[in-house]
Formats: sequence, structure tokens, C-alpha cells
Amino acid sequence: MAITNLNQFVQDYFIAHDCPILENTDGVMTIQLTEEMDLALMNRPFYWHYINKMGVTGRPFQLTLITNPEKREEKGDWIHFGSPRLQQIINHLEEKERYTKLFQTIDTKINTPLYPWLVTNIKISYHGKQKKDEVLSIGLQLVNGKMRLNMMEYLETIPLQSSIADYCFTISPMIRLKSGFLRMESLVLNYLDDQPKEWAEESLITLKEELTTLHHFYEGMEELEQMEKEIDEINERYEPNITIHVINGGIFYLIE
Amino acid sequence: MDSIHVTKDSAFIDKLETKLNKNDPLSTWKLFSMAYEAELTRISPSFTGLRAPEHLPHVTFLDHQVKAAEQVVEEMNGRAILADEVGLGKTIEAGLILKEYMIKGMVKNALILVPASLVSQWVQELNEKFYIPAVAHRKNYNWDQNIIISSIDTAKRSPHREKILETDYDFILIDEAHKLKNHKTKNYEFVRALKKKYCLLLTATPVQNRLIEIFNLISILKPGHLGNYKSFLERYGKDRNKVKEDQYLKQLIQKVMIRNTRINTDLQETKRNIQSIWIDFTKEERDFYEYLDSSMSSHATFSKITFLREICSSREACYLSLKKIGEENTKESHIETLISKIEHLPHHVKAQKAVELIQKIGDEKVIIFTEYRATQHYLQWYLQQHGITSVPFRGGFKRGKKDWMRQLFKDHAQVLIATEAGGEGINLQFCHHLINYDLPWNPMRLEQRIGRIHRYGQNQDVMIYNFAIRNTIEEHIMTLLYEKINLFEQVIGNLDAILSELNLTNLEKEITKIYDDSTSTGEAKIKLDNLSSILKHTIEHANSEEQQYGHN
Repeated sequence: MAITNLNQFVQDYFIAHDCPILENTDGVMTIQLTEEMDLALMNRPFYWHYINKMGVTGRPFQLTLITNPEKREEKGDWIHFGSPRLQQIINHLEEKERYTKLFQTIDTKINTPLYPWLVTNIKISYHGKQKKDEVLSIGLQLVNGKMRLNMMEYLETIPLQSSIADYCFTISPMIRLKSGFLRMESLVLNYLDDQPKEWAEESLITLKEELTTLHHFYEGMEELEQMEKEIDEINERYEPNITIHVINGGIFYLIE
Repeated sequence: MDSIHVTKDSAFIDKLETKLNKNDPLSTWKLFSMAYEAELTRISPSFTGLRAPEHLPHVTFLDHQVKAAEQVVEEMNGRAILADEVGLGKTIEAGLILKEYMIKGMVKNALILVPASLVSQWVQELNEKFYIPAVAHRKNYNWDQNIIISSIDTAKRSPHREKILETDYDFILIDEAHKLKNHKTKNYEFVRALKKKYCLLLTATPVQNRLIEIFNLISILKPGHLGNYKSFLERYGKDRNKVKEDQYLKQLIQKVMIRNTRINTDLQETKRNIQSIWIDFTKEERDFYEYLDSSMSSHATFSKITFLREICSSREACYLSLKKIGEENTKESHIETLISKIEHLPHHVKAQKAVELIQKIGDEKVIIFTEYRATQHYLQWYLQQHGITSVPFRGGFKRGKKDWMRQLFKDHAQVLIATEAGGEGINLQFCHHLINYDLPWNPMRLEQRIGRIHRYGQNQDVMIYNFAIRNTIEEHIMTLLYEKINLFEQVIGNLDAILSELNLTNLEKEITKIYDDSTSTGEAKIKLDNLSSILKHTIEHANSEEQQYGHN
């Protein structure tokens, strides 16, 4: 599900933010920004501050983005996975699109119940000598407690919308959001217990080796403070640990 | 094994609940799934492998640079000495490593300490090549945020020092780290006291120094890696030759140090073509040179040799010096004679040669190096008379002016005329013709000159033209010093250390002394020849030793 077509991705992003695509040929795309997107991306808060103070209509910029490397000499921002502009767009996405509430789209004439699901996309980062990330997408039905992995892939197959469809109604959850989330957390912790631990063991071995070396270095020297500083640094660098971060999540009302 | 500490994200669910209760605007499906998709693209799914190169498709990295970065991250766990030879791209390797850690979210703040003259170059390089938002430190900036670049001299002064020492840095980089080799200096103490996670020490010349100096550098990265101070001294003393004998020590050093040389990288492809251009004085000039040689005696402030060198460069350079001692000693009438003679000399034969050569080179950029500012001014005027555009460059220029001149040269002028001190801290890879209008007497400075263009990023063979006037002091220096030791062709990265080992830190003074003390030119030549022989021997010896060190 990672981004494969950058041009498509960027176009979707701007369309989703109501920015007209003025042109998009051969990997060169020109976008008319809205005021909101100009503020978000163009880094000119003073201009907009001034415009608002004066009570006049501002003129949002147009933006030309190049996704075709062969056209990168043309006027515009060449964007690729490492380019600052794309990173800015991704940061903007991840900052703004963390929470949602969505409903399954159903075309029906009879009363249809929708069941609440808590969905979270969770990033697990393993920090040892090196670092690795992993993403889990989990869904929990808040009435019967059923849990589902790869939830996002499942949701991709279902049409969704931001408001409830006609003739549909929602079932109240039996499980509170908070306890639902705790269930997910313990699922993740169990999952972590089952994962291979070599990375952590190796890191601990290096940690111990370096501490031994360090103690040898300071033998007979009276530099306790310096030594403590360096012990902290070694621990900081090698102590294996895991962080869990929720990328985004929300409530989904689905027919089952 | 014991349980691994897990940091949870408990704020999320509360925030979601609040949002739902308050009926805040929430994400559409499209944007929600795009954010997820974006994060899947951004994560590092494996403990190994570099992600930085795929983020930087606009830069072509050389194999040895990527390999070095990989080694530092995966095997050395982020603490290393980067000791590549000059011009192989240590900065690139360091940038790759920092970028890698930033992509993986392992480095958020960093302190980069470089010589003051290189601060803006580092900023530019990290910004443009690596998209790393590094900034030069300014008054009132916080030291604990972002990626800060500063000189060590600023950083170690109050009130910065205190602020820096209480900050926990994810990443520290020290450029020109060989200046830290002595553990008794203030700089060393300061660097050692920094709180750091990852750390890179960059130096072109660490290995030929005394073993104890390597010990000191490594003690910043990994105290105890080579044992403690006492045991190390007992075992190895201060003799660097011990490294050769000790395979174990060599391996230990390789664990924390990477050293690529031109020989083991693919950078060798761009060659240096050296051309000596012999020039004859015109009759008037020759007469003057000889008159100067026979009539002048060495002066308290100026050695005779100085005047001879100067007249080989330009009338103007010599004139200024004569004028100066003329003012000091009003009685000396022959100075007056010399001055009036010099005023009647025609245009310098070298300047004519330079114009001829530049015209032959055609449309390409040329750098001219001279030792004298008077020559620089004269040349700029003389070139202009012949329709050749040029910009001046001096070490004394402020950084902004240097950058500006570089840009002018790149975009508008054909020639850059630099004086000696301009040799450091500017990269001119877009140019591959260099004229040594006169030769410095210190070979280190020659290497710095050539290093401006023959470095990483140069994609053409480099042409070096060395001007020398026949039957003058320049001929001695050219044949007895440079050609004999082969100084033009080879990069002698450790030359400064070799000179200091021979107690010849000021080679220029040494040569001047030879000429002053000698009663005849013949005697001076023999002495100079002897000096070169010693240098040659030591360099050859050191080169064979060179390959003993470092990971390559």
C-alpha cells in the first residue's frame, strides 16, 4: 500500500484539498492553490496576515511539481521521495489526518444497522544498535469484541463516506473507546512478545562490551563525572527499546 | 532475556474521544488512507541497508562513499573517524550518515563544529546536496535545536560553552579533527565533555601522527578501545612504527576508522596533467634580474631572495618591496637606481605568456594562483587589456564576498586570480585549468591550490600549468624541489606531518636561509638538493607505511 505512483498521489492530495489541477502532462503538474493550502505549504504567513488585516482577497500561488526526472530542468519543484516538498506534504498529511469517523456507503431503502469499529494504524519502532519500523493496522468491533488485523486493506474494499447513508442507523458500542484501545494495546504487547529478539540481544552484548572497555579505560583515574557521562551515552545508544506510535485511527461504522 | 522497555502512545485515544465528542472536523477517507500510505513509504522496514541514497536521487554517490556510510551506521554504530585522503568526499560521507539517521528519526538535533572559514560551505552543502536544514549559529540561536553548524572557537567560549555542554546531542561532527590530537588542549577537553550519541571525527591526516595521537582521537569515540592511557603508553610508547608490527592494534584501529585513498577508489579516473612552462626573460628583464642579484645585499627586513622571487612574478611586486626599503633607508642610492630601472621595464614576459595560454585554452575557465597581491592587481588589469574577464580572490575576503566571487567566476568571468591565502575553503570543481603563476615554497600550499579543483565532483582531467623563468631562482625551486620529489603528481596527504617530523615546519624560511647563507648560487643549489633528498626519502618511507592503517 506504500506510495507507488507519486504523480497520482500528489494529484489526489491536491484534489482532496479542493485545489484545481491546471495541467498535468508528462509528469509536470500545475496546481492552483487555495488560500488554505497556500498557508499550509508556501511559508508566507505575513502575506496572509496582511491580506486579512486589510480585508482584501489574497492571491494564492500556483505550484508546479515535476514527478518525471527527465523534466527536472524545467521550471518547478522536482519532487521525489526525499525532496523537501514531498516531505512537507507528507508531514502536512500526517499531522492533519490523524482522526476520522466514517460510514459505509450503502444504497438501501430499508432500515440498516451499522456496527462501530475502532480502527488504529500503529507504527512499532525497534531501537537497538540499528532501528526498524513495522506497521500494524488493527480493527476492533465495539459490540462483539471481534478483532481484525490488516484492517486498512479490508477497508480499501468497502466504499466509505463521511456522513451516514439514508435509512442507516448506528448501533451503540458495548465497549468503550478507551477499553477498546487497551485491548488493542495488549494485542500489540503479546505480538511483541512473540517476535524474535536477536536484535535486542545483540545490542545488549555490545552495550556490555563497551561498558567493560570503558571501565578499563578509567581504571586508576579520577574522572568519575566524565565516566558517568560516557556510561549514560553508551546506555542511550545501545539499550534496546520499543516505541509504539499511532499513525492515525478513528471510528468506522460498517454493516457487520 | 528481560523484558524490553516499551513506550506506548496513550494520548491518541483521549484525543480521538475529545474530537468525536466536540464534533470537530475529521479526515475524509481519501486523506486518511493517504496519510497511512505515506507513512508506509516513510518507515524503515529493515535494520540494515541505507535509505539515504534513494532520498537523494539528484546526487551521484561514489561506491566508496556509500560503503563508508554503511560501515559507519551498521558496523561502527555511528561513531567513527573518517580519514579519507583530501578530495575523496569526507563531507559527502558525513552528510550521508547524518541524513540516514535523520530519515530514520534517530537524530533530531546535531552540532557540527568546523573551521570558521568553512561554516557557510557546510551549510550550503548540507542544504543543497542533502536537504538537511542545517543553519549556521547566530547570536540568540538556541544551541539545543535542529542542526547547528559553528566554529569550535565560538562554541567553546562563554556563554555558548555552558549551553552546549548541558545539551544532549544526538549527533556531533568535528571537521579537521586532527587538531584535537593533543589531549591537553582546551579544544580536546571541550569536545570530550560534549554529551553525544553518534559522533564523527573528520580528518585527512590522522594516521601518520604519533600513535598516542590516534589514541587520543579514539578516546573521544570509544574510551578504552585501545586500552587505557597507561597501558597503551607502556605497550606502544610514542613510536608510530609499532603499528606496523602490531596486527592486533591495526585491527582495533580499523574498527573505528575508515580511510579511503585515491588508489583504492574509483576517483582516480580524473587525472592530473602537469605541464611545466619554461619562460625566458626578455633582455631588459634579464639585465635587471642580474643587476638586482649582484647589487643587492640581504637586508634586515628583506632577504635578497625575496626581491629575486618577486621580479620573477611581476615588476609591481618587486617595485613595492623596493619602495618600502627605500623609504626606510633614504640614503641607499642604489635602491633609487633600481626603482628607476624597474619603471622602465616592459610588460612582464609571464603576463604575456598567461594571455597566450588562456587564449589557447579557449572558452574554458582558468584559475591563476600567484603569491603576490601586486601581481594579482597587475594581471587583472593586463588581462582586461586583452579582453579577458577576471575576478580577484583573496583569503582575506569575508565569507560572503568569497561566495560572491566564486559565483561571479562561475557565471560571468573566465579567469579567477587568487592569491595564496585564497587557497583554502573554496571549491571550484567546475574549472579544470590551473596556472601556478609562481610556485609557493611550501608544497603544502601547492597541494591546497590543486585541491580546489582536483577533488570529488571534478569530472574532467585537471590541467596544471606551472610557470617558471629559466635561469632564475624559480628554476631551482621547480627542478630541485618540485620535480625531484614528484610533488605535482602525487597527493601527499601527510606532508605537513612529515615536515614537522623533520622539524621543517617552515620550509619557506628554510629555503630562504639556504640562499642567505650560501656564498654562491652553486652552493645554494647543492644545499637545496640535499634538502629535497631528505624529503624524498621520508615521503617514500611514509607512503609505504601509509597502507598499514585504516579500513579501506
